[in-house]
Amino acid sequence: MADKKKRRRADSDSNSASQPFKNLLKSDAQILQILKSVTSSSSSSTSKPLTLADLALSSTCREVSDLSLSSVQSTIESLVLQLTHQILSGQGFSFTVPSRSSSNQLYVPELDRIVLKDKSTVRPFSHISSVRKTTITAKILSLVHQLCLKNIHVTKRDLFYTDVKLFQDQVQSDAVLDDVSCILGCTRSSLNVIAAEKGVVVGRLIFSDNGDMIDCTKMGMGGKAIPPNIDRVGDMQSDALFILLVEKDAAYIRLAEDRFYNRFPCIIVTAKGQPDVATRLFLKKMKMELKLPVLALVDSDPYGLKILSVYGCGSKNMSYDSANLTTPDIKWLGIRPSDLDKYKIPEQCRLPMTEQDIKTGKDLLEEDFVKKNPGWVEELNLMVKTKQKAEIQALSSFGFQYLSEVYLPLKLQQQDWL
Amino acid sequence: MESECPTETKKGKSKTPKKAKESILKQKSPAEFFAENKNIAGFDNPGKCLYTTVRELVENALDSAEAISELPVIEITIEEIVKSKFNSMIGLVDRERVDEELYDDYETAKAREKRLAKEARAQEIQAKNAALGKKVKEHAVSKSSKGRGEASFYRVTCRDNGRGMPHDDIPNMFGRVLSGTKYGLKQTRGKFGLGAKMALIWSKMSTGLPIEISSSMRGQNYLSFCRLDIDIHRNIPHIHLHEKRDNKDKWHGAEIQVVIEGNWTTYRSKISHYMRQMAVITPYAQFLFKFVSDAPDKNVTIKFARRTDVMPPVPVETKHHPSSVDILLIKRLIAETSKQNLMQFLQHEFVNIGKPLAERLIGEMGPEFSPKTAVKSLTDQQIVRIHQLFRQAKFDDPSGDCLSPAGEYNLRLGIIKELHPDMVATYSGSAQVFEGHPFIVEAGVSVGGKDVKQGLNIFRFANRIPLLFEQGGDVVTRTALKRISWNNYKINQTQDKIGVFVSIVSTKIPFKGTGKEYIGDDISEIASAVKSAIQQCCIQLKSKIVKKMQAREQQERKRNLSKYIPDATNAVYDVLKEMAKSHASKKKRYEEGDADILRKVSDHLITKETLYEKLTQHVEKVDYEMALEYATQTGVREEPREDIYLESLDDKGNFFDFHSPIFVFRLFL
Repeated sequence: MADKKKRRRADSDSNSASQPFKNLLKSDAQILQILKSVTSSSSSSTSKPLTLADLALSSTCREVSDLSLSSVQSTIESLVLQLTHQILSGQGFSFTVPSRSSSNQLYVPELDRIVLKDKSTVRPFSHISSVRKTTITAKILSLVHQLCLKNIHVTKRDLFYTDVKLFQDQVQSDAVLDDVSCILGCTRSSLNVIAAEKGVVVGRLIFSDNGDMIDCTKMGMGGKAIPPNIDRVGDMQSDALFILLVEKDAAYIRLAEDRFYNRFPCIIVTAKGQPDVATRLFLKKMKMELKLPVLALVDSDPYGLKILSVYGCGSKNMSYDSANLTTPDIKWLGIRPSDLDKYKIPEQCRLPMTEQDIKTGKDLLEEDFVKKNPGWVEELNLMVKTKQKAEIQALSSFGFQYLSEVYLPLKLQQQDWL
Repeated sequence: MESECPTETKKGKSKTPKKAKESILKQKSPAEFFAENKNIAGFDNPGKCLYTTVRELVENALDSAEAISELPVIEITIEEIVKSKFNSMIGLVDRERVDEELYDDYETAKAREKRLAKEARAQEIQAKNAALGKKVKEHAVSKSSKGRGEASFYRVTCRDNGRGMPHDDIPNMFGRVLSGTKYGLKQTRGKFGLGAKMALIWSKMSTGLPIEISSSMRGQNYLSFCRLDIDIHRNIPHIHLHEKRDNKDKWHGAEIQVVIEGNWTTYRSKISHYMRQMAVITPYAQFLFKFVSDAPDKNVTIKFARRTDVMPPVPVETKHHPSSVDILLIKRLIAETSKQNLMQFLQHEFVNIGKPLAERLIGEMGPEFSPKTAVKSLTDQQIVRIHQLFRQAKFDDPSGDCLSPAGEYNLRLGIIKELHPDMVATYSGSAQVFEGHPFIVEAGVSVGGKDVKQGLNIFRFANRIPLLFEQGGDVVTRTALKRISWNNYKINQTQDKIGVFVSIVSTKIPFKGTGKEYIGDDISEIASAVKSAIQQCCIQLKSKIVKKMQAREQQERKRNLSKYIPDATNAVYDVLKEMAKSHASKKKRYEEGDADILRKVSDHLITKETLYEKLTQHVEKVDYEMALEYATQTGVREEPREDIYLESLDDKGNFFDFHSPIFVFRLFL
């Protein structure tokens, strides 16, 4: 080890002493060559995605589909007529809502995503525990009906503000909105309700947003906000070799400012934490249309992996639409628990895991989407054993640009992803 | 049982000729040791000394009454003695200060100026506040903080109706530290024979006045009176007066009076908490607590009335469990035993060793042991071997029969009496074992009540004495705060007024620290027993709370359902209206039944009001049905009734009876 250090000091400039492993880097052209070979092999292997019907699960599992505005409208109308009949006959009224509880979720390994099973609950008006939710459901249905008539989009926040007194809290109206999607059997985007923009994209990507052509290399440092309604996005073109998924805004800004995508042609995406629906849809669309490998750069803690899993196999909350929201085959590039020692991240940049962290980590080990990937299990076991975590920013201890100048190129060169 | 007292030997030594070279080696009598380290026994500062004195006297009194199965009646009086009275008591003449500047609290001209300015400012502010109509807080009369030497003195008197003491034993019982009647292996409040003696040592240290004891035993026709203090250097009593007097009232019990320095102001609340909690755990006792001083407005009299005449059984003395003894203890047992051989010794001096087990044990000890081995002839090595085997062998756990827990009934009564909670649940665990000593955990959890603050109120008892200090580290506090998920039992940890009572009894309570103030959190056996006892109470409470919530839900159901009718009907009607419009303009086709409804909506035959009425009718119907169902399910109220306890009256009352066929009206004169 000692003589290795000496050698490095001897044959490279002083900068490398503070940026370990820089001397291992090959030239950019060589790295590009490696990447190209990987990309070509991966894109050829992509096949048509399986569906529930292929696995003969369509009777026991539930999935929603994109519906046109008019069919959403007529589904709501027939439902309301049904309610009216019930009320007029003096029976009150009730909804049959597919259950989104965790006991009604199923991870299907063949699909590599979570799907919703077929259990439903009845939500009657005349019961003290469900009267509130039933009323809110009726209200949301009537609001969505209006959107259909007028053919406009609103945000979830708009929806909440139509009757703050009834909804009390946006969490409640948001939850019922997902219920309504399930009842009607359509995706949430078909309801014309969108979430506020959260995700951003930058890099070698050109696409059309509502008719305007966007070139993501010319969007400045901040990048282009991912449009909330995916149905208006199209015509994707790119000469990138991979998509880089970044958990944190800070790392995204670093890569964007350093124009990392010009050194290694790529598309950089972040949702700044837990991904929203729009970002997940956008990533899925890119993956499907451009057929590029997706590499993820997340924190080395249980939540980093959790975020990775939401991109990959979906969240429990929105499992009814996992077919549209999940992007298969995401590779875990870093920061992985084994990188902490491999890249000699100093002790002061590592954090001890809290008891809650360790518990989350152990729970993750029980999850199917982790178990199916032996490499991930190994990494997670290491994390739980060492009880240490680190954020992407821990790399800044070797200089702010270490991430973009050494760490990522080296990772790419070694094809070090799981 | 008298402990061997080192003074005997010391006396001999002190008489050795003084000419012998002065040795640097000095010896201390136990009394001296405790006088110097009085904090060990809870005598840290004058305030705490007053508290501990009260506590020790009360606990001795309770033990004494319970020992003869007499319902305890205890009177405790604290009398404040002002300095001049104190001086006259000890025959000291009050001296006027001549040289003012000599004293510590002398106010220099500068300090005086400062103080006057400050007072003037305070008055100004007060006047301003008064002018603004603000509620003027009674300005705490800035009592000139007591200077050094301005001690306050108290006469503490405790009178009980207990066993009393044999006339001749009294001097040794009070004038000799580490001599006591409670050294056997049994659940007792006191343990080391320190309490009353420490009070005496403290009185000697702070006032120099002796202790006065009156006592009489049952059926004794005289009353013993004794005034004594303690010779601290020799740890022997120093008797001033010891005589027999007339016992006209046939009273039995003891009255102990001691004059000590103390601090009532700072420890008033601790003392009253102590009395209150003592009343919780011993509802069968009657306490009369009095504080008497020259200022009548400071006087306090609290009577804690008896609420039951059911007393827990007297704890019996038990033998040692083999896994709890050490080598010294084995040696002592060998010295004291009346048994001749090893076989009998094992069988009779320990619990849970029967004949077959004793034989197996002796066989296991080795060839040099036999059942016939004379027990007094055992060598040191052999004793070590026995000890090793005791450590490793498996024995049945000691039973809890020798323990005397307060009992669920008493605990419950105590809680109800002192806190008046809305709900209470109690639980008594079975006996468990820690290091060879059995222990029993009892718990009570209450919700609501008067004078109870929001959140957790924790009451701890060990061997039926309240523990007031060192709450933070205690196993009960930590368990209640950290390991109970109150939410699971529908109890709100911050909003509800929760009382948690845990009483632990054992032949040996594993106290932490020097004072007997708390039980550490590191003993997993006790921690888990405490947790499960509290949980059991919570489970009982949960069903009561759920029932209450259901009852409330019953009352409010109709209102809560009706509240949402307008929102629901509006939502449905809004959609219908739009549909009716497009139906009328023939934009869309509907099936016959649906088209019929839409037509009626267009013609205002079905309106918002129609839906509203129908929904209201439905809600009323559902409410009626559910109320009926609830009533048939729950039936008549089955709240458990509490027994009332009526205290029996003195038979010498003077009264008239007015008899009627159905009742008697008794008029007391």
